[in-house]
Amino acid sequence: MPETLPRHAEVAVVGAGIMGLATGIFLARAGREVVVLDRGEPWREASGVNAGSLGVQNKRLPLVPFTLEALKLWRGARELFGGDVGYVPSGGLRVATTPEDVIRLAASAEEQRAAGSATEWLEGPALAARAPWIGPAVRAATFSAEDSFAIPLSAGPVLVEALRQAGGRIVPDVAVRAVTGTARGAQIESPVGTLACRSAVIAAGAWSGELARTAGAALPVGLEVNMLTITEPADLVMDRLVSHVRGILTLKQYPNGTCMIGGGWQGQGTLADLRKDVDHAMLIHNLRVAAEVVPGLARLAIVRSWAGYEGSTPDALPLFGRLPGHEHVYVTASCRGGFTQGLLFGRLMAELVTTGQTSMPVAAFDPARFAA
Amino acid sequence: MSPGVSPRRGGRAAGVARGEAFELRVDGGRVPAHAGETVAAALLAAGRRALRWTAGRGEPRGVYCAMGVCGECIMVVDGEPGVRTCVTLAAPGMTVQTQHGWTAPEADDATARAGGAA
Amino acid sequence: MITADVAVVGAGPAGLAAAAEAARHGLSVTLLDDNPLPGGQYYRQGPATRVPDGNRGHPRDARARELLSVVDHPRVTFLAGAVVWAAPEARTLAFSHAGRGHRLRAEVIVIAAGASDRAVPFPGWTLPGVLTAGGAQNLLKSQGVLPGRRALVAGTGPLLLVVADSLRRAGATVVEVVEAAPIRAWQALPRLALAPGLLRRGLAYRLGLQRARVPFRPGHTVIEARGRDEVAEAVVAPIDGDGRVDRARARTLAVDTVVVGFGLVPSTELTRLLGCRHEWQRARGGWIPWRSAELETSVPGVLVAGDGAGIGGVETAVLEGRLAGLVAAERLGRGTGAEVGAARGPLRRRLRRLARFREGIEAMHRPPPTFLSLLTPETTVCRCEEITAEQLDAAVARGLPIDAVKAHTRATMGRCQGRNCLGTLADLVARARGCGPADLAWPRPRPPARPVRLGDLLGEDLPPASGPELALP
Repeated sequence: MPETLPRHAEVAVVGAGIMGLATGIFLARAGREVVVLDRGEPWREASGVNAGSLGVQNKRLPLVPFTLEALKLWRGARELFGGDVGYVPSGGLRVATTPEDVIRLAASAEEQRAAGSATEWLEGPALAARAPWIGPAVRAATFSAEDSFAIPLSAGPVLVEALRQAGGRIVPDVAVRAVTGTARGAQIESPVGTLACRSAVIAAGAWSGELARTAGAALPVGLEVNMLTITEPADLVMDRLVSHVRGILTLKQYPNGTCMIGGGWQGQGTLADLRKDVDHAMLIHNLRVAAEVVPGLARLAIVRSWAGYEGSTPDALPLFGRLPGHEHVYVTASCRGGFTQGLLFGRLMAELVTTGQTSMPVAAFDPARFAA
Repeated sequence: MSPGVSPRRGGRAAGVARGEAFELRVDGGRVPAHAGETVAAALLAAGRRALRWTAGRGEPRGVYCAMGVCGECIMVVDGEPGVRTCVTLAAPGMTVQTQHGWTAPEADDATARAGGAA
Repeated sequence: MITADVAVVGAGPAGLAAAAEAARHGLSVTLLDDNPLPGGQYYRQGPATRVPDGNRGHPRDARARELLSVVDHPRVTFLAGAVVWAAPEARTLAFSHAGRGHRLRAEVIVIAAGASDRAVPFPGWTLPGVLTAGGAQNLLKSQGVLPGRRALVAGTGPLLLVVADSLRRAGATVVEVVEAAPIRAWQALPRLALAPGLLRRGLAYRLGLQRARVPFRPGHTVIEARGRDEVAEAVVAPIDGDGRVDRARARTLAVDTVVVGFGLVPSTELTRLLGCRHEWQRARGGWIPWRSAELETSVPGVLVAGDGAGIGGVETAVLEGRLAGLVAAERLGRGTGAEVGAARGPLRRRLRRLARFREGIEAMHRPPPTFLSLLTPETTVCRCEEITAEQLDAAVARGLPIDAVKAHTRATMGRCQGRNCLGTLADLVARARGCGPADLAWPRPRPPARPVRLGDLLGEDLPPASGPELALP
């Protein structure tokens, strides 16, 4: 039966990606009446089309404790959410391919260690023994047992079902035009009707800036058009998540044998045109780096490529908290690292909405830091 | 019974001037082939039709499109899995093996090529 | 970057004819095909085509030889084994060849990529021994190899007769030919008479079958292939114009091979990547690129000739190829307008007559638009990912669009890039939503147009990288 937009709900969440669904699940489990809205089908944007990397090594330092906590949720996802999200505890190698990279990697490893994420330094024969499939272009790498990955296509249906089981509702195909504060809460306006609620949570990824603007808050959410490529299924090529210290590469091999190649290389498109086109030259640069780091990839055929929209912030830190000037409108947008941290930020947002407090210190992510 | 003609299935059409004859090593046995024939054609002529077993349900697959676009006829050729036999010319000394899922039957070969232990 | 006056993708009859005509007018032509030898499907070269058999004296032989010789023309550069995988810029193609990536820029691009067999799933269709009519033709006519000994030929369209004839000549027993459409020949005769040569050939195939006592049953189709590791028997049953199967009258046939020919589907990966507008015409194979009378698509400089623009057979393909070559010559200022116009007129008239012949065939053969009635819950629909009708149905029944069904099931994400299942998936979604396939949003085109070896793409000349933001640790 098609879902129609209700006129009232206790909490309205705009965006049915990982942020919105996780927020909805934890709110529903806390007894709140929750409706999660999306401009299309749930899980169709960044959450559904990203590379699935769950890494701690590539996170900015303030995010390390949050990532470590979020990874616990991923590890326990089957019990927590009642399904197989395709989690693979692969461990991960962060690689350096130039002398400058090596210096940066060493400094970063030290900082990460201090922040609670210890890694193992590998180079030369030790690296070759641990990862014989790593190419000679890799001068050094740090290994973290925490780095891992999941299968986005598997995780989506699990979270959607978990939300429903908890009593939450999802209404797809609602192109929310505006989120506004009202005397007693907030209001969601759309072409298919208006929804009044006590609290509204903007969890709309790359669209969060647009929506915040309708509520009178100017948040600098930029757009990234991240490209991904996937190969034919193949026998074992690599058994760890791979990332590059300069952020120009991610690699993983799924249980079905396909290899996913990413790294944030930019395709083309805007929020207005929704093109999400692959950029030819950038794609090949991405593939070159991949083949340099794991030469065994060169013999595989690429079968599909695509691009997805992700939000970005000027300081590469999430937006989390009440919208400036609002009491009942919130925003949670991780904007890079969202897939890793989304389950946790959903729980924290549920805490904030229901109790006014969070179990982890989120002041650094206050959207007010961008208010003029 | 003429050489290279399976008693039950497959076979070669008469009246065709074929190139040099040789043999392919197929799963430890031998299959006749001629210059200009594809690996799949040589196997079909010998009545060999199940070429691989799928990764998921372990079902048999063989030639379907015969023009290189469906990916069903893939086998391990000279140690390399995923080779489309319908568009690969047979050559003297070539080794062909049934593909199970995405790997060669001797997993050691595959992991050795990938560089070592899992 | 390679440059040429004309780039022709596909060295089948349409591509060869286009290249020949363009070269004749003094244009430089780069001709690309992913096969090791030119010829496409109709003129696929192999051991059995060195000495023509059974078609001795057939006019196609001489024409085939003439067309194939175009790769030796001094102004034609033929790149065998070239895989065109992307269209990075206007009038530019990216391809891999001899282990390296290349770009080709041309004033006129002629896409002559042909077609492939429409995939119609039914229980047991993935068994070894079930193969396409096009595939069987390749094996029989160019490799000279039998796919089996006792064959059922099933599907719809004139290709069934052709492949049944080829099987018989090669020494196989054709147990039965089942044509899904009822034949209404009397409605079609006036149009069929427009192409007497084709009509004669068609009748000759029918007579040959009759003489060999091969039953030809219109209004019937295959509903199952059975066997353990390969086909051991097949089941046929009556089917009506709406696609309803009368299983009560099913019969089992002892065969080791099922050749299935449900029509051809134009290969539109490249025209879609190039941004051409497409129209849905079921009778011509589904999505076909819109073309002007000059065979130009909605993208200036991109022409399409042959089965890639809608199924018309080899005669149409050759004529369209020649017309495309003429249009290219005119565009590039070779050949006077009068000369080109003089040649174009007769070509166009012949194309119109062939089109009416084709319409006659289509009036004769009006098969059911879809064969979804053949599906059982356990039938594999996505062969590569092993996804059954039942698994698809969970998502389809919710009325989800194609992209969402893909995401929920992984259908179309396999190695064949959806060639064998996207059509069925679209039909299922359309049926659930109560509309036609053309009313649905289809997946956006993305490279690679074909699977292409990663290592073969790396050598392309590119502007220096402007990479992603450096991740700040």
